[in-house]
Amino acid sequence: MKQHPLCTDCEQNAGILDLPVPAGLKQEWVALETRRRFLGRSGKVLGWAAMASLLGEAALRGAASGDAKSSAIMPGADSMKLPHFAPKAKRAIYLFMSGGPPQMDLLDYKPNLAELFNKDIPDSVRGSQQLTGMTAGQAHFPIAPSHWGFKRYGQSETWVSDLLPYTARMVDELTIIKSTNTDAINHEPAIMLMNTGNMNAGKPCLGSWLSYGLGSMNDNLPTFIVLQTKVNAKENNQPVSSRLWSSGFLSSEYAGIGLRSGGDPVLYLADPDGVDREVRRKMLDAVEQINQQTAEEIGDPETNARIAQYEMAYRMQASVPELVDLSKEPHSTWDLYGPDAKLPGTFAYNCLLARRMAERGVRFTQVYKRGWDVHDNVTGMLPVLCSETDRACYALVTDLKRRGLLDDTLVIWAGEFGRTVYSQGGLTAENYGRDHHPRCFTTWMTGGGVRPGITYGETDDYSYNVLKDPVHVRDFNATILHCLGIDHNKFTYKFQGLDQKLTGPTPASVVNGILA
Amino acid sequence: MELKSAGRVIGRILPTSASTRALWISVVAASAALLLLPDMVRLDGTKHADWLQFVGRFHPLAVHIPIGLIVLVPVLEIAGKFRPALREAASFVLGLAVAACLGTLVLGYLLAYGSGDTGVTVTRHMWGGIALAIGLMLCLLARSPWSGAANGYLYPVLLACVLFALVWTAHQGGTLTHGSAYLTEYMPAPLKRVSLFNNAVAAGDANSFYGRQIHPIFDANCVACHGASKMQGGLRLDSYELLMKGGKDGRVVIPGNAQGSVLLERVTLPPDNKHFMPAEGRPPLKPDETARIRAWIEQGASPASRTVAGVVVEERPKEAPTEPVGDYSALMPEIHQMAQAQGAKLLAVSAKPSDGLILTTVDVASNFGDAQLAQFQKFAPYIVEADLARTSVTDASFETLSKFTHLCALHLEGTAVTGRGFAKLAPLSRLTYLNLSETKVDSAAIVPLASMTNLRHLYLFDTPAQPATAGDTHTDERSAQ
Repeated sequence: MKQHPLCTDCEQNAGILDLPVPAGLKQEWVALETRRRFLGRSGKVLGWAAMASLLGEAALRGAASGDAKSSAIMPGADSMKLPHFAPKAKRAIYLFMSGGPPQMDLLDYKPNLAELFNKDIPDSVRGSQQLTGMTAGQAHFPIAPSHWGFKRYGQSETWVSDLLPYTARMVDELTIIKSTNTDAINHEPAIMLMNTGNMNAGKPCLGSWLSYGLGSMNDNLPTFIVLQTKVNAKENNQPVSSRLWSSGFLSSEYAGIGLRSGGDPVLYLADPDGVDREVRRKMLDAVEQINQQTAEEIGDPETNARIAQYEMAYRMQASVPELVDLSKEPHSTWDLYGPDAKLPGTFAYNCLLARRMAERGVRFTQVYKRGWDVHDNVTGMLPVLCSETDRACYALVTDLKRRGLLDDTLVIWAGEFGRTVYSQGGLTAENYGRDHHPRCFTTWMTGGGVRPGITYGETDDYSYNVLKDPVHVRDFNATILHCLGIDHNKFTYKFQGLDQKLTGPTPASVVNGILA
Repeated sequence: MELKSAGRVIGRILPTSASTRALWISVVAASAALLLLPDMVRLDGTKHADWLQFVGRFHPLAVHIPIGLIVLVPVLEIAGKFRPALREAASFVLGLAVAACLGTLVLGYLLAYGSGDTGVTVTRHMWGGIALAIGLMLCLLARSPWSGAANGYLYPVLLACVLFALVWTAHQGGTLTHGSAYLTEYMPAPLKRVSLFNNAVAAGDANSFYGRQIHPIFDANCVACHGASKMQGGLRLDSYELLMKGGKDGRVVIPGNAQGSVLLERVTLPPDNKHFMPAEGRPPLKPDETARIRAWIEQGASPASRTVAGVVVEERPKEAPTEPVGDYSALMPEIHQMAQAQGAKLLAVSAKPSDGLILTTVDVASNFGDAQLAQFQKFAPYIVEADLARTSVTDASFETLSKFTHLCALHLEGTAVTGRGFAKLAPLSRLTYLNLSETKVDSAAIVPLASMTNLRHLYLFDTPAQPATAGDTHTDERSAQ
């Protein structure tokens, strides 16, 4: 085949490097060209090309003249101007009661239930509520009154179960929300909805949004830390996974950093024998150089996130041991939190760590306590769960308060849903079980931004439906953001063509009735 | 010259023909009647025949008719410059406005007389209405010569006065129905500061039980009808003296005798009772509010006593809103530079520069001492919070801190301060929060802090002043001392 001298691209064996193009471009091509990378990126490249032509020169000029932060691919929080208004709380501690605590056994007192023992819950109350597979087959839905007595406590005269003697002592500090409600009836969707505002995985969680929006107060510690409580094997533990503290479509810098509940809080954080801090620094510098190269070649923001994470890990080598060193805690700490707090991985220990993190400027700490999924043997398990958590919750709130930290720290106590008033499985005089219930559950908050000593919302006589002032999960989250100075409607991130936000597309509103 | 031209104007509007003369006479007669009305039929604060009120209550409805018509007049006059037909319509509308205004005025008078309303605002509203009606009639007189020659200032000036009187009267009326705070309640704070609508009623001794617990109940529930603007039944509850004076039927509070106090009786009647207060479907007082009033009356209804035995109320004094600071945006490069050099950061409280900056030292606490603090003095006017917890600052820092006059919150927990020289912090008049936990501060050292009136949250946990005890120690929030 005769070839035109200028028609190089039909030449069979000519490589791209032989083409008459500038050397710089060839170099770039070499850098980019691996088959996978090409396939992976070609779509995006076309997209970028299209966008560049749409935006024209203005976009290029903007990128060139903008400061370093705004020209980065990930828009920094600076450019969003957060907080939108002066916040009441600078940081938050979220005590997550995974599994769904039974509200009518703890804080939602229903005195009338005692007479209704073993009677079926009226259909009019139950309405069209979907049931889980675990109780859908039940012929009867016998009402199980709480096994425990309730008394009134505090100036607010709040009813509290005998299971929570310590919580009872601080009711005047709490903002109890009896009307929290959710859309999901099973753990995974419900816990995702609670944490990320969406039942499906892939959205950033509350902590990541805060970390992204508000940034760090202490560069030596992560902005968002997750503490898991050691599992008590006797309890019915539902899995919690890193999806719950994932940064979703935000840069992975904003994901929650989990501290382990036993042994080293962060694996391999300590330098191995023979490696001193200087060697470690040199190694990290070298790795960073390589990563920088990759970042320039590929342009994937995740590489930058990785560089930031390495640096964070290096700083954490010094800051985490100090954080978890409880040897200097005064006696009063142990008197308050109890002996459990000395055992790493207990809920009390985690609460104590949460207080130490608040002191050290960690923006958001989430403590997970599993085991609240009491489908059966409520009378056996609930006292165990309460003894593990009740004192520690009280200790944390009291400790923050006496140290003057509660003024600007928001403490949140919540599960992913509530439990049914009717018994799952057999109801006896001594024992019962409770199934998942999304229509109402009780949560509480305290500290910066919320009004202490009030109970918000009302449920019906069966703790089944919300009668007054419903607080949907998205309202709950909007309110948390509000306490931290963020307008949930303005706090958005463009992804997949949408202005994504924590509260989702359905209108949400801040619960003004609980604000201080 | 001026006299002459004035003479000409007056000459023009003086009655010339028989019909205008009749108009003149009726206007003068009507004005005289209106001016004498308040004297002849005195608003005496007592209720009169029900039918008067029934008819009178159409006043708030009817009042919008003359308002619309009056506003239309200048519109038509101006538009008439371009379309003469409209100018003719203006004369008709003006006539209608006069008629509607007189009608509405009568209704309004029936309402006030019938319901026994008195008070400053009622009086002002009444005189406003009368002035408006007279002004409008004068407009009617001045208009015909003006429209003939289409010049002269008398009519336009009169019309402008009428419009002004309309706005003022309407505002008084609005104040009567919605309360004086209605218009300004949600006004943005900067506007509020410059506006004149800032008339808080003195509540007496603000720290007494009456000032903190009783007066706010009346303020929220009662003074809309029993206040300066409206004195139903001759009773005012907007100050202690007026409360004790009672209404036209006598005293409503008898100290030491809650049973015999009419005020308490009326608010505790069943809500469907005719005499129940608050009237007109307003929400009843809450049980704890009536309990507070009862206890207060029972124990002497004192204006000054601080506590009332047996009543413990949640004490959450409202935080004073933080004062805005200046705009630090211009200093941003320097602020970034400081963060680079020092490690200590100045973080913005919010996107609004007027909310100020927070000095944050938590990542460099061990290396941050008095010398480093001094370097931030330059930014002192913008710093509202200084977090110096666990830094190596000492008592010597008070000298520097005294220049941080915008400081609202100061963290010194875990530092070496002993409190010698706390007196130097006196210039920090905005300081509401001071954390001295885990320091060596003792009870003698904190004495000078007592003079800092805005200091509401003082934390002394684990200090010689408040040693950590076994069990749960409670908060160190300073009680009102």
